[in-house]
Amino acid sequence: MKRKIALSFAVVASASLALTGCVVDTSPKAAAAGGELSGNLTVACGAMEDWCQAMTEAFTEKTGVKTSFVRLSSGETVARLNAGKDSPEFDVWHGGPADGYGAAKKAGLLEQYESPNASVIPDKYKDAEGYWAGVYVGALGFCSNKAGLEKLGVGVPTSWNDILDNKLKGQVSTAHPSTSGTAFTTLWTQVTLNNGNEDAGLDYMRKMHNNVLQYSKSGTAPGQTAGRGEVAVGLVFSHDCVKYKEAGMTDLQVSFPKEGTGYEVGGVGVVKNSKNPAAAKAYVDWALTAEAQDLGPTVGSYQILTNPDAKHDDRMVDLDEVKLVDYDFTLAAAEKSKLTKRFDAEIAPQPKE
Amino acid sequence: MSIDTLQPATAPAAPPLPAKRAGAKFSKLDTVTKLVIALVVGILLLLIGYPLIRILTQSFSPEGRDTLGQILTSATNRGVLLNTVALGLVVGAVGTCIGFAFAYAQARLEFRGKRILHLIALLPIVSPPFAVATAVISLFGRSGLISNKLLGLDYNIYGLTGLTVVLGLSFFPVAYMNLLGMLRSLDPAMDEAASNLGASKWKIFRSVTIPMLIPGFASCFLLLFVEAIADLANPLVIGGDFTVLSTRAYIAITGEYNVAGGAAYSLVLLLPGLLVFLVQRYWAERKSVVSVTGKPSGRVNLISSPLGRIPLLTIVLLIAALIVTIYVTVFIGAFTKILGVNNSFTLANYQYVLAGIGSDAMFTTTILALIATPIAGVLGMILAWLIVRKVKRGRGVLDFMGMLGLAVPGTVLGIGYALAFNKPFIIGNIQLLPALAGGGAILGGAMAIVMVYVIRSMPSGQRSGVAALQQIDPAIDEASTSLGASGITTFRTITLPLIRPALLSGLTYAFARAMTTLSPIIFITTPQTKIMTSQILSEVDAGRFGNAFAYCTILIVIVLSVIGLMNLLVRDPRPKTRTR
Repeated sequence: MKRKIALSFAVVASASLALTGCVVDTSPKAAAAGGELSGNLTVACGAMEDWCQAMTEAFTEKTGVKTSFVRLSSGETVARLNAGKDSPEFDVWHGGPADGYGAAKKAGLLEQYESPNASVIPDKYKDAEGYWAGVYVGALGFCSNKAGLEKLGVGVPTSWNDILDNKLKGQVSTAHPSTSGTAFTTLWTQVTLNNGNEDAGLDYMRKMHNNVLQYSKSGTAPGQTAGRGEVAVGLVFSHDCVKYKEAGMTDLQVSFPKEGTGYEVGGVGVVKNSKNPAAAKAYVDWALTAEAQDLGPTVGSYQILTNPDAKHDDRMVDLDEVKLVDYDFTLAAAEKSKLTKRFDAEIAPQPKE
Repeated sequence: MSIDTLQPATAPAAPPLPAKRAGAKFSKLDTVTKLVIALVVGILLLLIGYPLIRILTQSFSPEGRDTLGQILTSATNRGVLLNTVALGLVVGAVGTCIGFAFAYAQARLEFRGKRILHLIALLPIVSPPFAVATAVISLFGRSGLISNKLLGLDYNIYGLTGLTVVLGLSFFPVAYMNLLGMLRSLDPAMDEAASNLGASKWKIFRSVTIPMLIPGFASCFLLLFVEAIADLANPLVIGGDFTVLSTRAYIAITGEYNVAGGAAYSLVLLLPGLLVFLVQRYWAERKSVVSVTGKPSGRVNLISSPLGRIPLLTIVLLIAALIVTIYVTVFIGAFTKILGVNNSFTLANYQYVLAGIGSDAMFTTTILALIATPIAGVLGMILAWLIVRKVKRGRGVLDFMGMLGLAVPGTVLGIGYALAFNKPFIIGNIQLLPALAGGGAILGGAMAIVMVYVIRSMPSGQRSGVAALQQIDPAIDEASTSLGASGITTFRTITLPLIRPALLSGLTYAFARAMTTLSPIIFITTPQTKIMTSQILSEVDAGRFGNAFAYCTILIVIVLSVIGLMNLLVRDPRPKTRTR
């Protein structure tokens, strides 16, 4: 024991010696201006692990830039970027919803960069000022458990009104709009379907409240709850439902409301003060190409791709068959805090009839 | 950060506690002890003080003040606050009771299979995030294997009930280990004396055993209360509508991009913890419970009458069966595609974890946790020793500082670390510390992860150390000191051997805790340091529950093996002297 304590003190002492008094190296690593790309690139990746891995490996192979990633949700990414503002640990943010990019842009965490490849991306899927561009689109859908619906004698929902069916009491799972971007998309979709009338949008949520078993914290949880047969219908982005189905929850079925549904855009952007801006910009350019986007379906990510030349996979949503609402992301972001507060106060605590 | 600038804020704030034997309890401090105090305070300030100051000051920014203002005025937030306190009280009480039932059965009842029961009770120490909660949902949820398929119930486990079950089962082993250690070190002579005076076993239990254990109960309750309200993964998975402050803070940060708001909720989260802490200190200090006096002691008479054994054993065995069922579920889950949905047998999950992407995370996590464990264990014991024996003024503050690592939600701790250690720490032109956290830091950010492991896992050792030391008569120390031994020699040669069981429980818990820490890690993982828990999170996210369960099983195996090894290394050299 004697030696052990002495040893631990020695370790602490030598460690503190080793860590102090180093020379401060503040010179930024010179980025290769034009021409050959080099160095390292770290990506904050908001998509599925497999997809992040496929993307970074392919980029390394293509350019020789050693690319690695950390998988993070969008809130975590913004928090980490904010914490390391002056010397960011990431160079690129790839994947994750547009509202996160909006928050990062507002906080001055993103670099303005209009990629030449962004010109083919439809305007509604990218930032007007070029702080981020969309790489995929996910449409909100109904994720139903076929066995569960059968038992209740209810058909697969194809309209927002189907969810209000009395037979579905306690059989609908959705996340809470203040905790999940997915659930807020549901709420804003209702506002949009009612021509921007927020009271009417909340009114729909109030009616749906009677059928909701519980509001989960995470946006993807309703898909899993439905997959396990705990509820008949979950409200999630449809690619998540397909993903769970592929993972083994074979009773799941995706359907969409005929009135129109909301969607999310997944972005890519250069982090401000990146230590390797040339490679970061090259990464963004590449992520917008059809070649890069085609990697998604090979690793189980079935979002709709934003590059018109990217290959369509049968498991993706066909935009010809699904009606998307005219979703105003700027207005939605501006109204979010007010609407979720109203939801918290007026709907969530209400008893279920 | 310098100690000089921060110390004034902590040191004078300590109200001198009304310790009855103050004069006798605290010997004069020698230089070595003073150095140890300075070192420990320095380490605590670095590991928890500085990161917390960085983040909590954010709660006084305009956004944070906005949130603080709404905490009592908004009905929703008042509900969240009440939920949090209710959860802490319920889990604290349930966990302490289960822990005591197991410890008492183990120490005082006569029955076969004690060793197995002991191992089962220790099993939940290793509860990787999601494993227990997900298994409970698969077993007792609305379409659960037992509740629905077997009993035909339509039971909604989400909410306070599910949380109490999961958290109570996950956290009770600390209570069990602490109380078992205390029960074993109680002087059997007292039982004998009572028995000779004609007291029944029940009477001895009520009027001798229980009062002696009161500091233990208090300290277990406090620990469980604090752990329960700071836990994040379980309330996210099985909490359903039941929102608590830790999930609220997490949501503010990840859902609303409002770090200041998250910090404000966490600041409030510290208040109930602080309150329970103060009450516990006040209450536990009023009773002198010294029982290890250094005088020879007799042996324990085990209870063998059916009346005394059967009710308690039934309860204990039922809970043990529940624990086994849950862990078997995790184990089986690792061999299926999705447990309860698609039960076909597969080995692909293990292949993924052992040979695929997962093996990297497995090694990194184990190594970092192994580095952190001895530091946390020894630091916890030294801290406990300082608190109980050495520091008179400011020990309350010292005790609380040590506990902070546990009391703060992991999310907040993680962001605090990102804020504090992403950049080199420079004063003027001298670099005091290089960047410790994040991708650009030395050792690929591994240092910050070890630091988080240490501060997160130290408090359990600290608590068991404090409880153990309060039982030991200071006269033993005094004898050593008056024979000329320095403070640190006394600690090493007298105190440490006496608190060996507490050290062992501290080490065990520290390792398990480090291996299963998730929420602070999210904010400081880097491409070079893949951590198992955050891999589990992404597997659950992707719906690959088989992989998640396989990760959990392997994590459990690693932790149990290491704990087994530690038991051999730090074994009590005087086994069974009391039960001879």
